[in-house]
Amino acid sequence: MSDVKKVRIFMTGVGGQGTLTATTLLAQTVLAQGLPVTSGEIHGMAQRGGVVESTVLIGCKSPKIGLGEADILIGFEPMETMRALPYLKQGGLVVSSIEFMPPLAVAMGKQECPAIDDIKKAVSACTDKAYYMANQTIGLEAGAVQSGNVAMLGAVCAAGDLPFGPEALEAAIKANLPEKIQAVNLKALELGVAALNA
Amino acid sequence: MANPLLNEKGGDTHLLLGNEAIVRGALEGGLQVATCYPGTPSSEVPDTLYKLSPGGKYYFEYSVNEKVALEVAAGATLAGAATLCTMKHVGVNVAADPLFTLCYVGAPGGLVLLSADDPGCHSSQNEQDNRIYARSAGMPVFEPSTAQEAKDMARDGLKLSRKHGQPLLLRTTTRVNHLRGPVEFGPAPDPGKVEGFKRNPSKYVPIPAFARPMHLALMERMEALREEAENSEYNTVTGSGKLGIACSGISRAYVADALDNAGLADKVTLFELGFSYPLPEKKCLDFIKSVDKVLVVEELEPVLENDLRVLAQKNKLDIEILGKDVLPRHGEFTVTLVENAIREQLGEAPVAACDCPLPELPMRPPNLCAGCPHRGTYFAARKVFGDDAVYSSDIGCYTLGILPPLQTADFLICMGSSISAGGGVAQASGQTVVAFIGDSTYFHSGLTGVANAVFNSHDVLLVILDNRTTAMTGHQPNPGVDKTVIGENDHPLDIEASVRGLGVTEVRTVNPFNQKKTLAAFEELKALKGVRVLIAKEPCPLYSRRVYKKVAPQVAYVADSCAGRFDCLDKLACPAMFKEGGKAAVNPILCNGCMLCLQVCGHIKAKKRGS
Ligand code: SF4
Ligand code: SF4
Repeated sequence: MSDVKKVRIFMTGVGGQGTLTATTLLAQTVLAQGLPVTSGEIHGMAQRGGVVESTVLIGCKSPKIGLGEADILIGFEPMETMRALPYLKQGGLVVSSIEFMPPLAVAMGKQECPAIDDIKKAVSACTDKAYYMANQTIGLEAGAVQSGNVAMLGAVCAAGDLPFGPEALEAAIKANLPEKIQAVNLKALELGVAALNA
Repeated sequence: MANPLLNEKGGDTHLLLGNEAIVRGALEGGLQVATCYPGTPSSEVPDTLYKLSPGGKYYFEYSVNEKVALEVAAGATLAGAATLCTMKHVGVNVAADPLFTLCYVGAPGGLVLLSADDPGCHSSQNEQDNRIYARSAGMPVFEPSTAQEAKDMARDGLKLSRKHGQPLLLRTTTRVNHLRGPVEFGPAPDPGKVEGFKRNPSKYVPIPAFARPMHLALMERMEALREEAENSEYNTVTGSGKLGIACSGISRAYVADALDNAGLADKVTLFELGFSYPLPEKKCLDFIKSVDKVLVVEELEPVLENDLRVLAQKNKLDIEILGKDVLPRHGEFTVTLVENAIREQLGEAPVAACDCPLPELPMRPPNLCAGCPHRGTYFAARKVFGDDAVYSSDIGCYTLGILPPLQTADFLICMGSSISAGGGVAQASGQTVVAFIGDSTYFHSGLTGVANAVFNSHDVLLVILDNRTTAMTGHQPNPGVDKTVIGENDHPLDIEASVRGLGVTEVRTVNPFNQKKTLAAFEELKALKGVRVLIAKEPCPLYSRRVYKKVAPQVAYVADSCAGRFDCLDKLACPAMFKEGGKAAVNPILCNGCMLCLQVCGHIKAKKRGS
């Protein structure tokens, strides 16, 4: 295992957002590249609107990522990006959504979400390699809100920190997703890569 | 296309969840009977077996609780069937009674008990370490650390159990159940017919005269299994450093990555135990003698650590054995935590700690879904009883009623305890008690509580939250459901009839979305004494969508006349609602159209979905 460069990817989002589907797709992409992969997820009660955390690790045996261990952080919701920042290695790559899904206390007006600029500031204290995108808007543009997650995966693949590029993800979509949702996700992938380069 | 998990041929590699890998392993091991009670993190094992069951060559059932699941499994293995029984760690407490004696009686067809432990309490009320059960009852233990091992150990566990006639514990932890990794398939041939039960009372009926020799026979079987552990390829020693590291289960993965990160692999002798009990004493002794110091890396209890200490003492070895004095006895480990423990023993500086401050952010606690029928029941209970009642809760989605503003969960012990522990509060103190239990939990262990409350004249109002499924663990069927994802339930049990059959005379059934009727029923039952039951019956909307293909035709919206009093948000807290400017609003995508909020505030109206 030690001859493969280790990459630890931490993903976080809100229950029901499709975080786990994206995680599996990325793990399938790694496997199809012939690389050793292990992936993990913690969901428990999360399907009722809680936080969902998942991982994809290349060249590791453990499926868990501890504080300060992640090379890449993908945040499908900006506040969750900020909550997960302690998992990021100094100087790691961040790809985050900028569209909030307010938790109940915020929806009820009892607490406030941080502003997106606060989040960007917190991120920039840890790394200067950060990309932000409106994943739900991009998802809707591609044809389904959940495909915004695939757009973000596309951006991660294009950012150059993984041992493969967006074409690997494209192949995995074709090989693993049901045919009727392939077109939407391929479109999302394309939009995600474009968003990174914008 | 048939599901690849059922493929009889081997050779392919698939990316599988640990729990799916266990299913494949059981099939490769010749699985003939599988029983379970669902419980996170074990649930995907039975769920997968259930979904595959129409095409599989095994019998599968969701049993009503873990004790029953293990008893059905016990009968099956006595009849010669290769049997798998699955549950979460606390489920083994429920099954403990049959478990201990089953270890005497044995498992002629082979029996693997999956206990999915939960260090870190990701979805459980405690962190108990079930390796201790195995030591107490007399079961060999396999502890996988990867998806491949989960598959291989389920297969080999069934075979080994059958060979020795001894039930075997497949002990996983959440990280193993919910990891995903590549798994290479072996063949999974048709297991053929079950041999059938062979009468032998002195072997299978533990009356005291037979139980005494059975205990001796159990100890002999365990000695034979110790020999297997000595020679098992799941127990390996690698490297030749002066520091010895002993580890089992998922800790093996943390140790492997830690050594790799630190580049310290050549400074340690690594002893990995996948087949961790009975302890392979010779192998352990050789290991201990080959090093200057031992660090035991295991999550939760110092089980392996104590085993090794005893062994060293018995053999008069003066060696330092470290474990829980340098690593925590609670929660999960991480690679960095383990790496630093190893570095410390080798006199190396620790890896730099991450200095990112933990941000202070609004929490995102799980909440009853939008349109959850429990919200209607809890809302009505709070309206009628307020803070004057003690609310006794139980295990299920409805425990989420603990959150404000509903706050209808004051205490909770275990599955089925709401009624009995509620009775305890009422009898001891004379306080008003309202107990809540779900339909699946009622069948799991609520029935006996009701019988007890009636028999002992407890003064309790029991609310059975009948959402027509077991929602918490992923919508599994229970005896009361009429329909499931793979078909009808041929024998749906009527909860109201069962409650009456247990001797409760005051029973009302309401739809909790009808607040007027629900409030009236609560008021009526409040005025009475003794055991009273309110059945709040309405399917979980998530289940409804999947199984009945039903979606409410309407959604709520807040009219412009909204005066900004926010009763809806402050008292109902449906996650589809939010504040916008000075007014309340409803997110039509999240709204499940239960129409509860319309009964709370006249400014909320209904409109056709999508209009
Ligand atoms: S109708 Fe009202 S209470 Fe029911 S789900 Fe919609 S917003 Fe929530
Ligand atoms: S899953 Fe069903 S029962 Fe559970 S909280 Fe959601 S709506 Fe309620």
